[in-house]
Amino acid sequence: MQATQIIHAYKQAPWRVQRQYAGAFLLFVIGASMVAALYLTVTARAAVTGREIQELRVEITALQRVNADLETQLADLTSTVVMQQRAFALGYRPVKPGELEYVAVSGFLAPEPSILLAAEDVTSPERIIPEAYTQSLIEWFDKQIKFGGAKQP
Amino acid sequence: MRRQYAFRSMTLIAGFGLVALAILVQMIRIQNSEQAAIFLSQGDQYAGEFRMFYPERGEIYDRNGHLLAGNRTVYEVGVSLSEMEDPDALAFTLGTYLGLTYEEVFKKLTESPDTWSYVVIQDYVDANIVAALQEQIKQLEAAKDFRLQGIAFKPHFQRSYPETSLASNVLGFVTRDGRGYFGIEEKYNDLLAGNPVQVWVPRDPNKATEIPRVPNGTTLVLTLNRDLQARVESILDKALIEYGAQNGAIVVMDPRNGEILAMSTTPRMDLNNYTNYFSLYNDGSQYNRSIGTAYEPGSVMKVLTMAAALDTGLVKPETTYVDTGSIQVGGFTIQNWDKEAWGEQNMVGCLQHSLNVCMAWISTQMGPTTFYGYMERFGFGHPTGVDLAGEAMGRLKTPGDSDWYNVDLGTNAFGQGVTATPLQMLMAASAIANDGKMVTPHILYSMLRDGHQYNVPSQYGGSPITAQTAHTLSEMLAQSLNAESSEALLSGYRVAGKTGTAQIPTEFGYDPSVTNASFIGWGPVDDPQFMIYVWLNAPTSSIWGSQTAAPTFSKVAEQTVILLNIPPDNVRFQLTSK
Repeated sequence: MQATQIIHAYKQAPWRVQRQYAGAFLLFVIGASMVAALYLTVTARAAVTGREIQELRVEITALQRVNADLETQLADLTSTVVMQQRAFALGYRPVKPGELEYVAVSGFLAPEPSILLAAEDVTSPERIIPEAYTQSLIEWFDKQIKFGGAKQP
Repeated sequence: MRRQYAFRSMTLIAGFGLVALAILVQMIRIQNSEQAAIFLSQGDQYAGEFRMFYPERGEIYDRNGHLLAGNRTVYEVGVSLSEMEDPDALAFTLGTYLGLTYEEVFKKLTESPDTWSYVVIQDYVDANIVAALQEQIKQLEAAKDFRLQGIAFKPHFQRSYPETSLASNVLGFVTRDGRGYFGIEEKYNDLLAGNPVQVWVPRDPNKATEIPRVPNGTTLVLTLNRDLQARVESILDKALIEYGAQNGAIVVMDPRNGEILAMSTTPRMDLNNYTNYFSLYNDGSQYNRSIGTAYEPGSVMKVLTMAAALDTGLVKPETTYVDTGSIQVGGFTIQNWDKEAWGEQNMVGCLQHSLNVCMAWISTQMGPTTFYGYMERFGFGHPTGVDLAGEAMGRLKTPGDSDWYNVDLGTNAFGQGVTATPLQMLMAASAIANDGKMVTPHILYSMLRDGHQYNVPSQYGGSPITAQTAHTLSEMLAQSLNAESSEALLSGYRVAGKTGTAQIPTEFGYDPSVTNASFIGWGPVDDPQFMIYVWLNAPTSSIWGSQTAAPTFSKVAEQTVILLNIPPDNVRFQLTSK
């Protein structure tokens, strides 16, 4: 009987309990709102990025077309017939064998066309850039330790 | 009272709860029903589309990086029927810009099936026309006039050949369905076209994913030298007019590696207008006569007969033969081209005077087994393996064939009764110009794909003769050209070569008034860097190869040494000695 009285004495007032419930509910609402807001933000960003990707894709395709068109236009402008006409208009004429003078230039290599220069020659095993320009200090130490400065096999 | 309220409240809660539960159950039931699956699949159809991404067709360049075949944008012009406002205005405008009649366009716009939402008015419309049309639409829309609403432009690529007809016989062409015909375009169609990729493209930007990269078709770099090709074509065209020939072919090849530097035949066509094909050619073999037409080459074949004889040791340059003007082979009498007897001749003389009788004597002395063994090793009767579509094999009859007769052993020795293409002749003779090693002709120098370059290695077709034989014969041919003051000679350069004049076989036998005039030659003799084959079909100003094909060879050789930077012999020796 005494214990019951004590419990009753400390029982929270109803308004406090209600406030606690309301607080918990609000906490849940706020939490859910934050999650929803975060989700919305992420989704919106993803949508915007997705749209940008779609637009960039269209732009890439358009640029590829422009590139191809420009290359063809350039080739039209530098075609054999056009160049010959331009050369004749500028007063040039085809050279005759006796008019040529040949000069030996040591070390001269005929220039590669730009179309080939732009590509990596996979058939060539030789490295163009010496190792000294590409290897790190650690790699250099490693090589020195392994081969003692001798030429690498 | 409170209890009464509590009961009502509980009843309401239970009622609402039941309704909510019913809704939930119904939602679950609908979402898992058969109809839901159908609706979902229908929805998926509109969520995106399967789109085919076609790679850009690979370009074709000459060895110096000049574009020979590229791509340009053209448009499909159509009308979205659901957006169409004024068919009259559309028919009039599109008809005017696209070169169509009003009635034609109007009919397409108004008489299309009801299920159609889009109708194509014209495809492959030039970009300039589309730009003008777009400008017109823009101006009208700025003035709030939407009568042209509904016009749609879909860009795509079309093959373009900036050099129009230059090297048309080598390049081939691409039709609107994207397939290559003839030459490089057909031979390497799969490489050039690349692999189309089909991708599901969602409309929802949230689901936008990176589309797998569609690599362009492989770009090809040819061994052709554009400028030399242009000169050779010009020389061939002039030669046809000057000598009154029906058609012809000229091929320039590097004998050291088989690279074809120029290849020209007639007629040539503007590749941007490939529909002309049917008005220019009767059949595919005429498209590139250098590889597609096999003919009886005549006396140029004597070079190979002599090569075989020297290689077997049957004869030496100083070996003599008394020419009586005729020889019996297989029961038939073989005579010289002038039906005269030339008396005692050494082997250089036999070549210089192009004596049929001497050559028939050589081949009969060798015997059919040895002679045809050599001819087969020189590649006759087999395709060269050149990387161009439409190559003919030619024909070498051999003992055992139903149509081979003993006389063929004699006639084949001077190029009658055997057929070969100009390129086969060049390949065979490359053994003489290249230290006994026969090269396989090729036109592809390099392939470019994904930023990597793959060079095409040279291939050899065997060594039918020794290097010693090759040097000896080259020297003999150079001497014979000098001795006869041939019109093939090129000032400042020592060249070796041989003319050929072959009567053309008809159903009634050989016609003596119509010939195939040919010349095969190379130079400089001490270090051959070019080989040239000239073939003029039925020249009328003179039937002789020495008066038609030989001077044409000289003109081509002159341009070749200039464009390949080959100094005259004396200058070259001076530069080498330094």
